[in-house]
Amino acid sequence: MDKVTVGIPRGIPYYYDGEFWKFFFQKCNIEVLNSPSTTQEIVDRGISLAPDEMCLSMKIYLGHLDYLEGKCDYLFVPRIDRFDDANQTCTNFLSFYDLAKTYFKTPILNYNIDCHNDLLDGALEIGSLLSIPRVSILKAYDEALEKAKEIKRVKNKKQLELLKEKQKKVLIVSHAYNIHDALIGSDLLKMLKENGIIVLYSDYFLSEDTNPLASKLSKKLYWKYSRDSIGAIPLCEDVNGIIFLSTFPCGLDSLVHELVIRKIKKPYLNLVIDNLSSFTGLETRVESFVDLLEQS
Amino acid sequence: MKECYLGIDIGSISTKGVVIDKEYHLLDSCYLETKGNPIEAVKQVLRQIKIPEGYHLYGIGTTGSARKLIGLLLNANVIKNEITAHAVATMTYHPEVKTILEIGGQDSKVIQIRNHMISDYAMNTLCAAGTGAFLSSQAKRLGMDVKDFGSLALTSQNPTNIAARCTVFAESDLVHKAQIGYPKEDIVAGLCKSVVLNYLNNVCKGKKLEAPIIFQGGVSKNEGVLKYFKEILKEEVMVDPNGHLMGALGIAILSSKNPRKEEYHLDFENVSFKTIGKECHDCSNRCELLQIYREEELLDIWGSKCGKY
Amino acid sequence: MGSYGVPIYYLLTHILENEVVKPPEITSRTLELGSKYSPDFVCTPFKYTLGTMIESIEKGANLLIQMGGGCRYGYYHELQEQILKDLGYSCTVLNLVSGGRKISYKELKKYPLKIKKRHFLKSIYITKKMVYYMDKMDDYIRTHRCYEKKKGSFDKVRKEMLASFAKVKGVRDLFKTYRKYKKKMEDIPLNQPERRIRVGLIGELYTLMEPAANEEVEKLLNSYGFEVKRYTDVTYLLFEKKRKVRKYLKNFFVKYCMGADALDNIHHTKELCEEGYDGIIHMKSSFCTPEIGAMPIIEKVAQEYQVPVLFFSMDMHTSETGFLTRLEAFCDMLEMRKQ
Repeated sequence: MDKVTVGIPRGIPYYYDGEFWKFFFQKCNIEVLNSPSTTQEIVDRGISLAPDEMCLSMKIYLGHLDYLEGKCDYLFVPRIDRFDDANQTCTNFLSFYDLAKTYFKTPILNYNIDCHNDLLDGALEIGSLLSIPRVSILKAYDEALEKAKEIKRVKNKKQLELLKEKQKKVLIVSHAYNIHDALIGSDLLKMLKENGIIVLYSDYFLSEDTNPLASKLSKKLYWKYSRDSIGAIPLCEDVNGIIFLSTFPCGLDSLVHELVIRKIKKPYLNLVIDNLSSFTGLETRVESFVDLLEQS
Repeated sequence: MKECYLGIDIGSISTKGVVIDKEYHLLDSCYLETKGNPIEAVKQVLRQIKIPEGYHLYGIGTTGSARKLIGLLLNANVIKNEITAHAVATMTYHPEVKTILEIGGQDSKVIQIRNHMISDYAMNTLCAAGTGAFLSSQAKRLGMDVKDFGSLALTSQNPTNIAARCTVFAESDLVHKAQIGYPKEDIVAGLCKSVVLNYLNNVCKGKKLEAPIIFQGGVSKNEGVLKYFKEILKEEVMVDPNGHLMGALGIAILSSKNPRKEEYHLDFENVSFKTIGKECHDCSNRCELLQIYREEELLDIWGSKCGKY
Repeated sequence: MGSYGVPIYYLLTHILENEVVKPPEITSRTLELGSKYSPDFVCTPFKYTLGTMIESIEKGANLLIQMGGGCRYGYYHELQEQILKDLGYSCTVLNLVSGGRKISYKELKKYPLKIKKRHFLKSIYITKKMVYYMDKMDDYIRTHRCYEKKKGSFDKVRKEMLASFAKVKGVRDLFKTYRKYKKKMEDIPLNQPERRIRVGLIGELYTLMEPAANEEVEKLLNSYGFEVKRYTDVTYLLFEKKRKVRKYLKNFFVKYCMGADALDNIHHTKELCEEGYDGIIHMKSSFCTPEIGAMPIIEKVAQEYQVPVLFFSMDMHTSETGFLTRLEAFCDMLEMRKQ
């Protein structure tokens, strides 16, 4: 069989288990084509495809898929529904596959996570679609999962060490796909670092630690990634301020961030990024927030 | 006596009037600013427009945002919305056209035509970004006349990127770019380009724009915008010299096709029209009612939500 | 939501010993209150319900009942309770179907609700039937009101019917009332239609079912002489949806559920196209995430069948003129296509 290439878009799900799949495909000896870090061109592609009201992160995801269209044998598009009833996802995660099928001609490699299927089922499904022997799938799965976990543990350890530092610290509460996106979060991170602020990321903590803590702020919250991110707030009692970062018009954040903001007592900054926000606006807001922290 | 028909398009920014004959030839036209007073604007139109010797008026049509009010006052035989009017006129004068791009004062739309029928259309999402009003306000910001926009845009080699999805953000972006020293022509060209991109991404999303394409509405007079339409669509884009009158022409044509015809006399000069706005306090809806009078006679009351009037 | 206040009020007054406050009708004040205290880009039903809650509290309510799940609806109540508390009202917001599962009787007991055990099941049964009859009548109205000889005849009968429904004493009484008004409606004189133009109405449930949120689109379409078909009503959502979704998933046309009613709407689009409807109107409140995800697919399906679709995104800033212009133009287009 000819060697196949799997195109993995650097968008939303990439930031959750991208590492796992990278190692998994490596082990299975399958070539992977990643789309590059988000560029303005990718954003523009997404914008021209997606309905106007779709959130910026989704538009970027579609832009990445569009970049890969025609450049690989398969587009890698999962569908993530829920891990259990208390850990559901945004409805956009439910529509990844069917949307991609509407927009793109390249065949799609798809797996599904819901009450009955977990990541292992996903790996088995993807593996069998690429006709990899079951034994190798299981082996690759174990190794990839261990490696991905190790990376997460290292990140978590670093974060916990940073938390002990004496400098001014800020916690960014956001979805991983926003903080680490080259276009959405990077300007903000650069500005904070230039001002000598230590930045902590809500998604670098371990989900096992943050998820149960979320109930302290919201009892009924049933979105996994929102739980993971706001759970970092009780974990980081020592930070001087909190920045809420979301993309316009994120459905979950519009409710969750509003609720959390009403409950916390720390200085906070609520940033909503749209492709039209200009750099100057951001600069003014971040600078005044930093000034506020310096005084506290 | 030969028959002729009057079409009036009362838009948010400008008011247009035309007189056509039975074969849809344009006999007379006028174009003026609405200035927020549609009744006065229409009176002005009726004063200016001339019905040629030997013709008699057999129908009046109104379109545009004030179509209902004016239609009621003039006793028009056709009152239709501007999308239909534009399409009808374009299909009459340019039967080959398949796509109509239109950017007007406060809204923008795309109309697609197959087999001499409107097959699909779309309009901007109720926001003024990227329309004529947006360009005028940005021109004011830059201290220019919007009429000079087009020619200045043509001189630019490097249009600046300007985010034009939202008026407020575009304005701050524009001021920022101007302050860090971009040349004016590049900013103006950037604005024109962003109007086109915004329009194509927003209004024409998911539509295949087939040639021949015609560009209409007030903004079609802007050479800069036209240039970027051609550049980005990679197609020839026509502009009708009467493009700004298309709405009025269309409604005049519809008026001529209407079986209800009667002889009209244009002597509204001395008739006083009055509209009184008041808030109704009968229930918590607090509807803003509009009472419309001709002389002292109450013609209609609008704006009631509960159906009381 | 819409006229469903009648059966819900019936249910609550019959199974609870507590005083039940009937929420006031949605007016512009409701909207103003709701949007004033809501976050910026939350979807519109949040604002409507928050406004209604404030107005109900003013009338003396202290336990508010929300229902909803599937998308953001399920999380409304927690934030709404917080907002109301921050405003200084003391109250509890209870969601009957929180997080995708139904609340149990045990949990319900924690709230200061006194439930009448007698007639409990009977009242639920009557309510269910009442909703079913109402939906059936509304279906009939949507396809016949457009031809009525005397304007307003259908609306008049409907109003009378709702008033008598509110007073029914038992199952048989309900059935008799329903038969009576069904007959009355069928007797309304109709014009013979010259041409039938049928429009399908799909989209997000709140906007579809609450006339205040959709500018009474059904009435408008009927007044232009168009028949209207709408799938989404309470009967569909509560009793038919599960079965239908299973069927839809078997078709493999769309592989997965996409939250709320997105999958249903895609399939309804296909059905409407296949049944030869002339046009489809898709309505949702702004920022309704599941529907945004479904829109590109709906558009593609309709394009294949060459059926025009008009999308509306409703919120409180929707200007009535803008809405009417778009709707009228769409109707003009459908008429021209028909000729």
